[in-house]
Amino acid sequence: MRVAKGAQIVAGTALLALGVAACGGGGSSTGGSGGGSNPRAADGTVFIRGCEPQTGFVPGNINEVCGGTINQFVFDQLIKYNSDTAAPELSQAESIESPDNKVWTIKLKPGLKWSDGSPVTAKNYVDAWNYTAYSPNAQNGGWWFGGVEGYSDVATEDPDGPDGPKEAPKPKSDKMSGLEVIDDLTFKVTLTAPEAVFRTKLGYTTFSALPDAFFKDPKAFVSNPVTNGAFKFVKWDHNSQIVVEANPDYVGTEKPKVKKIVYKMYKDDDAAYADLVSNNLDFTELIPPSALAGDKWKSDLGDRAIEGQQGVIQTVTFPLYDKEFGGNADFRKAVSMAIDRKTITEKIFNKGRTPLDGWISPLVDGYKTPGACGEFCAYDPAKAKEYLDKAKAAGYTPPKEYPIWYNGDSAHKEWVDATANSINQAFGPDAGVTFVGKAVPTFAEFRDIITTHKMKGLFRTGWQMDYPHIENFLNPLFKTGAGSNDGLFSDKELDAKLHEADTATDPADSIAKYQEAEAMLTKEMNAIPLWSFGLQAGTSKWVTGVKVTPFGVLDPLSIAIKEA
Amino acid sequence: MGRYAIRRLLQLIPVLLGTTFLINYMVWQLPGDPFAARCGQRPCPDAYINAMRAEFGLDQPIIVQYWHFLKNLLTGDLGVNFNNVSVASQLAESWPITVRLGLMAVAIEAVIGIVAGVLSGLKRGGFLDNVITISTLILLSLPVFVTGFLLQWLLGVQLDLIKPTVSDGAPFVELIVPAFVLASLNLAFTARLTRTSIIENRRSDYVRTAIAKGLSNRRVVGVHLLRNSLIPALTFIGTEVGSLMSGAIITEGIYNINGIGGLLWRAVNDHDFTIVVPIASLLVLVYLLANLLVDLLYGVLDPRIRYE
Repeated sequence: MRVAKGAQIVAGTALLALGVAACGGGGSSTGGSGGGSNPRAADGTVFIRGCEPQTGFVPGNINEVCGGTINQFVFDQLIKYNSDTAAPELSQAESIESPDNKVWTIKLKPGLKWSDGSPVTAKNYVDAWNYTAYSPNAQNGGWWFGGVEGYSDVATEDPDGPDGPKEAPKPKSDKMSGLEVIDDLTFKVTLTAPEAVFRTKLGYTTFSALPDAFFKDPKAFVSNPVTNGAFKFVKWDHNSQIVVEANPDYVGTEKPKVKKIVYKMYKDDDAAYADLVSNNLDFTELIPPSALAGDKWKSDLGDRAIEGQQGVIQTVTFPLYDKEFGGNADFRKAVSMAIDRKTITEKIFNKGRTPLDGWISPLVDGYKTPGACGEFCAYDPAKAKEYLDKAKAAGYTPPKEYPIWYNGDSAHKEWVDATANSINQAFGPDAGVTFVGKAVPTFAEFRDIITTHKMKGLFRTGWQMDYPHIENFLNPLFKTGAGSNDGLFSDKELDAKLHEADTATDPADSIAKYQEAEAMLTKEMNAIPLWSFGLQAGTSKWVTGVKVTPFGVLDPLSIAIKEA
Repeated sequence: MGRYAIRRLLQLIPVLLGTTFLINYMVWQLPGDPFAARCGQRPCPDAYINAMRAEFGLDQPIIVQYWHFLKNLLTGDLGVNFNNVSVASQLAESWPITVRLGLMAVAIEAVIGIVAGVLSGLKRGGFLDNVITISTLILLSLPVFVTGFLLQWLLGVQLDLIKPTVSDGAPFVELIVPAFVLASLNLAFTARLTRTSIIENRRSDYVRTAIAKGLSNRRVVGVHLLRNSLIPALTFIGTEVGSLMSGAIITEGIYNINGIGGLLWRAVNDHDFTIVVPIASLLVLVYLLANLLVDLLYGVLDPRIRYE
């Protein structure tokens, strides 16, 4: 830190100078549109909104947005998702082939380099994956390699969970038998079972390579990484900024158009927004609710406003482990049909969300219209009542007060209350059950109650896709015992169908089977789809060409400085 | 007075011990696992939770944890936070910024508040008195975040006079508006306190005596009246120093100032006691020292007050 101090002051004053210049420019050009020089043009630096990553620059240990975004800036993966279509395209890989979706041969492009000059090799990939999967390394992304042969030899589970006194046994090996280096640029991955979606998965950050430098000193690497992406790491001032600069050795077809990106951290979305409006910040993907209200942001930003879609969906889930609140299928369907998704998205979100009639995001491979949920996700008070009566006739008496739970530390109260109201109105006053929104103070507590399966009522769930494929919205959420199957839903037929889809060799056939599996969710209706997230972002008047990825973050290769 | 100061300083030790223990205990009692929320909608891997708990000693009883905390504190080693970043370096970066902001706020509060209070107290019922009474009423009725957003929007976004947010090193010039916002509420209190006390003391015996002795008006007001009238205002300013610093959370958020307010806010949200406990302890220390300073200043202002 001592070394960084001087540099920080210099950067601080540079920033101040820029700010002053920006003020001057803004002041003189209030009349005309393109007048005044562009302060960004001088040194090719742009400022985008960021936040402090929880873990440093080790792609296999990252599972939150702040760290994920910045790692996408500096590490390149085998696959990259197209910013417009979300289609997976080859990036570091020259070819990824498999005759049976079980044994994959991955060839790297020649001439790829790390920022310390060493070449990117097949060994870098194999080493990185083994390191991440090896459970004593306690990497957050370890489970991603669960499908690779030999995973059970490197990852052991704590027999009584983290709360128990026993410790996890030491794994048999620190190398997965399914990974094999063929030559400098080729490696082979053997999976335990065919997995059609494996190729698409490879664009996720956890599948990045790690250079030899990492293994020499993993602790130091965290805050001063050697990288291989379009941008390379310059410095990280904690809680304040991360600076990356264009990598001259980057071999991708699309090159960075700016010299430097300063990833500026804000504590408050409103502060970032104020900076955006006054052109001190060049990009933010978080427009605060105060600006979204009444579409104020559109009049503030004009043609600098960016609207789009992102691969995030909102659902509410029933606790199937709880007799009183789990209800029966007819009750759950009744609730779903009693929610007026269209009105809520219009009134509360200003059309910033799109009503869902299926369990997957409209952006991904495998989405179709009309959605799998069909009539059960359409607002129909009469039918909702009918199903409620059916549910009662089948012997289920809902409790007098039925809560919908959410975490109170984010902006959920409004839509949860609106959803509860919508259900109450549809059911009518003599339904014998009243829905109410209830808050758990913090997200930490909320997750605690969910993972210990003590939820009494519907609870807010959501899913942000890891990669754009229908599989990512089904397997982690609805398979028996899956990691994020928070309502403890279990359906043997669905499991079998998902397995069929997982192991299908033909991608189109696989997707068709996933769609069939999705349709089977209407039977039990254990989770109710609500809406998918739109994207609201904005840029300053100094930049152009800005694209936002389906993951809701800036595509760093797209941003360019406007010519004055 | 020296002995008094030393005695007061010694008293700090048990108070600090007690408060740090309480803070440790309360953070420990916060519901929810600090590591459960770190993996979004997915449960964190057991291996990760185990490793984190062992690293931060969460698997040990609270007394043992507190003992480790004290030991580390005395050896000056604050360790790393949950994000594996040195706590000491984060404090070293943000603390001076908050102190600068706080001191600027105190200065603004004292200078403007006292001057306004004296002026309106001396010309009671006059035009200036009315102006000051009304403007302090406005400041008193606005919560800090309203003043903050209002000035940011007006001066930063609309008029383009300042940058809406403060840049990295938090230079003096950029902190003027945030410091004013932070001081605004207390400034109004100070002005009103000073005004009332000036009005009261103007009718007191010693002022009448001073005037009867034939002292110049300037000397009567400047030395006799002012010195005695400042005691309530000083008490107020002194006790508010601590709350100014902890209250900076809102102001620092609005203007994106990289001070301890933001650090504390994030740490509380993350249940990151490695940051919460040192900051809270520092704030306690600031409170205690500010109170001590005020007590000592009493003696300077009013010779009748003596400490033995």
